[in-house]
Amino acid sequence: MTVILLGLFSGIAFGFVIQRIGASNANKMALAHLMREAQIPQFMLLAVAFSAIGLFGLQAAGVGRTMVLPTSLVATGLAAVIFGVGWGLSGYCPGTCWAAVGEGRMDAVFALLGGLAGAATFAQFHEILIPSLYLPTSQGPITLSDWLGSSWLAVIVLVGAMGGATWLVGKLWGRDSA
Amino acid sequence: MKPDDNSPYWSVMPAAMALAGIIVFIFATFGPPASSSGFITLLKGVLAHLAPGYIAARQHYLMMPGPGSWLMAFVLGMAIGGFIAGRTFAVPVRDVPELWEKRFGKSRVKRFLAAFVGGFLILFGARLAGGCTLGLFISGSTQLAISGLYFGVVIFAVAMLTARLVYGKTGKEKS
Repeated sequence: MTVILLGLFSGIAFGFVIQRIGASNANKMALAHLMREAQIPQFMLLAVAFSAIGLFGLQAAGVGRTMVLPTSLVATGLAAVIFGVGWGLSGYCPGTCWAAVGEGRMDAVFALLGGLAGAATFAQFHEILIPSLYLPTSQGPITLSDWLGSSWLAVIVLVGAMGGATWLVGKLWGRDSA
Repeated sequence: MKPDDNSPYWSVMPAAMALAGIIVFIFATFGPPASSSGFITLLKGVLAHLAPGYIAARQHYLMMPGPGSWLMAFVLGMAIGGFIAGRTFAVPVRDVPELWEKRFGKSRVKRFLAAFVGGFLILFGARLAGGCTLGLFISGSTQLAISGLYFGVVIFAVAMLTARLVYGKTGKEKS
């Protein structure tokens, strides 16, 4: 029961914050993709940077649970292309569409239904797609720490990259906060 | 970093700190946050009644918890959070986004169909990769995973290209 309440509480807080930055607004998301709205991409990049610092602290204290997903050159890349087309077309991600449904956006209800159909379709073909697309080019659960040989150096590099990307978005994106 | 002074939306910095606080809380109390998995747990719950034999033979349902789980509670919580935030917000919601309406007209059917197709693609892709914007890009990158960074770069690039193709010239006009 505790786990359900923790999930519910975390979800409510998460849904509230992403609505307040406009990530559940498909119009704002489309403007972000069209390089006219900088807040959503900057918000995501900085959230990753701050979370990485926080998680580093948690791990130093020996708290929490992590699980790194493997990198499959083919499957992760191809999946990202399919995902990107759907994201650019609808303006919703699997998380934001739940918050948008809660807000009362009717198009998000259809994105959620389409999502259920897409998830069910993938689950039907999991046994064929994972061995053929995912496993052959899987590099295992590699991390920046593996590449750089030190986890604190990896956190510094990640935070630097996210900070740099945030700055770049501020330079290149317009300031259309519709 | 700040929307217009009269914008009801939050500024980037406090919003990003708030989200990071929530994400770190989730890592401490549960593990890596994820939302596309919630679709599988929901389907698993529905199919457990309709076709128990089917899900018992499918790896993708076997590897995910059912609806009595953190994942299910989290996505339902997101809808509740969206509801509370929406009720206390100055900007009314629309069923057809402004930019979409400018490009494709007022047709709700057209927009809902595009949202359905887009929803299908994001979940199909997320399940193939093992996560979505949150479950792979944000969770993964926070854990310094190459998979999360790789997925994040490609989804942003492809979504930006797709939006350009979808909105064409309309996408460049000032609103």
